[in-house]
Amino acid sequence: MNSLMPIFPLVEMSITCALVIIWILQKASPQDFPLALKVTLLVVLGNLFFWPLGFSLELPLVAYVRGMVGDLSIVTTLLLWSTVLLSTKPAPTSFKAFIVIVAIIFYPLALGFGMTDPYAWGYASLPFLIAVLLIALICGLGNWSRGVWIIAIAIIAWAAHWHESANLWDYLLDPLLAIWAVAALIAMIYQKRRDKARSGYLFRAG
Amino acid sequence: MSRVIALCFLLLAAVIGFLHLDSRPVWAPFIDTETIVTEIEAESPLITKVKGSNKSDPIASKPQFNWLPDTGASSVHAASLIALKDGGIRAFWFAGSREGAPDVVINTSALDKSGKWSAPIVVMDRVTAEKGLGRYIAKLGNPVPSRLADGRLQLFFVTVSLGGWAGSSISSVISEDEGLSWGKPQRLISSPLLNLSTLVKSPALQFTDGRLGLPAYHEWIGRFGEFLRIEGAQVIDKRRMSSGRSAIQPVVFVNSAQDASAYFRQTRSAGLAKHIPVSQTQNAGQSWQAAGDLEIANPNSAVAGLTLSNGARLLALNNIETGRHRLVLMMSDPKSGQWHVVDVLENDEALPDDQRKEYSYPYLLSANGNDAHLVYTWDRKKIRHVYLSAPWLENAFNQLPRQSVSESSAAGQEVQQ
Repeated sequence: MNSLMPIFPLVEMSITCALVIIWILQKASPQDFPLALKVTLLVVLGNLFFWPLGFSLELPLVAYVRGMVGDLSIVTTLLLWSTVLLSTKPAPTSFKAFIVIVAIIFYPLALGFGMTDPYAWGYASLPFLIAVLLIALICGLGNWSRGVWIIAIAIIAWAAHWHESANLWDYLLDPLLAIWAVAALIAMIYQKRRDKARSGYLFRAG
Repeated sequence: MSRVIALCFLLLAAVIGFLHLDSRPVWAPFIDTETIVTEIEAESPLITKVKGSNKSDPIASKPQFNWLPDTGASSVHAASLIALKDGGIRAFWFAGSREGAPDVVINTSALDKSGKWSAPIVVMDRVTAEKGLGRYIAKLGNPVPSRLADGRLQLFFVTVSLGGWAGSSISSVISEDEGLSWGKPQRLISSPLLNLSTLVKSPALQFTDGRLGLPAYHEWIGRFGEFLRIEGAQVIDKRRMSSGRSAIQPVVFVNSAQDASAYFRQTRSAGLAKHIPVSQTQNAGQSWQAAGDLEIANPNSAVAGLTLSNGARLLALNNIETGRHRLVLMMSDPKSGQWHVVDVLENDEALPDDQRKEYSYPYLLSANGNDAHLVYTWDRKKIRHVYLSAPWLENAFNQLPRQSVSESSAAGQEVQQ
């Protein structure tokens, strides 16, 4: 590893990459992986991403991933880590729907549609911080404590300037989170329709 | 119980968040251009040559053309300049086998007091950038130097990890020895979508609190200008300068501590006016409003701007609607606001299309507020440097048509040609 390379962001992304692979393997497997196996896979795969492999690669694998997707938001990172390692209950549907609505409004405006730029609120806007805290509070009132923890950690990470960005949005939302929320909602709707078809409503009792 | 603990933790995060917000600096006014130039109390390179002749004779002090040093690269582009503390000028440009090639490096060379450019050195190559930034970098582009409030040089440059220039982001390096050596690059985060598509072309402005205002632009889904507020190597705020898909590469003229105008390179679709879009701010860049076009032809090519200490403003640009084969210097009297061509620097209009060269990406700098240095891409093969002496500029300024306000409002396009 070159001494110039930033270590912590690469470690964080290496863990994330390893957990994505474990999550995919888990999805493909009929059995639940025990925690010991997950940790072993995490150590092996994480090191594989983190250290330079040589061959014709100038950089470790994780640097190529980071070059493409940048630093993931704290919300995405912690949701993924907790889902794979802690096997917690999935995020509420209302949270996923909220992410989708926010992304649909946020990205076009932030990418140049009109003169209003909601991304700029993430630098130093008190109303925006209050709005984020309210959303976390709603998560708590909705009995989703994990959401409260994740948003609170994201706010602290932003204040501590953990990532390169000084913008709170970058700690809360990223395109992968939005894509995940859309995919999860579509999968849920598909699943409900399939369950409805399987329930044989044509022959149900009248 | 777990919910109570989580909510207590949220309360802690709220307190930390509010404290962080409270520590954010308030938005400061601009430093006027005249204040900036007086900080560098040095004579420009080449001025001795002018003094050696007759200083009051504008013919003798006509624009002096030379070239930035050749690095052997077949393609060069995007030159920029900064004044050095010793009175010299340092230039930056990118060079490689072609624009966007992996072998493109950012070069620098300094113009000493004798009027000679030093041997070029490499500031940044692709591999150094990717090791410093901890991520894969496919190509480098547009270097733009600036000076931090503490006197160090900062070089902003464009990196691309994925795709074409639309996938760009801005990084910066800092030099403590006037550009001879450079520190570790750091990336500026300025876009929420994978930090894609922010580029820089024009010089930064200074705020009174020592922070920088960097005019930047997007050119992916939208093509619009953005004003980044920079602290060190970090974007601490940004404001939109235009919207839509029609204006990039803003050049900002500061009118006063709160008032500034931005001139853009137009990127409009066919059928729309090929003029320079303008935005204005009256609160030191906190908000920008689109103003009417500056009715000077622009063929979707970069514009360079500069304000001299006497208030005269310079523009270097291609004042044609298509092509980049004509490059002119225009000057404006701040009282009338009218622009006039004061010198045609390059002009291939008499040549057939296939023999016309490209003269593009101009960049203007004044070391002392009275003279001007211009660099621009010459047929993508060389970077040309033009020195405009103070007497020559003064003479050009004195020869500007003086009109009454009522006349100037009706002057229109004809005075620009």
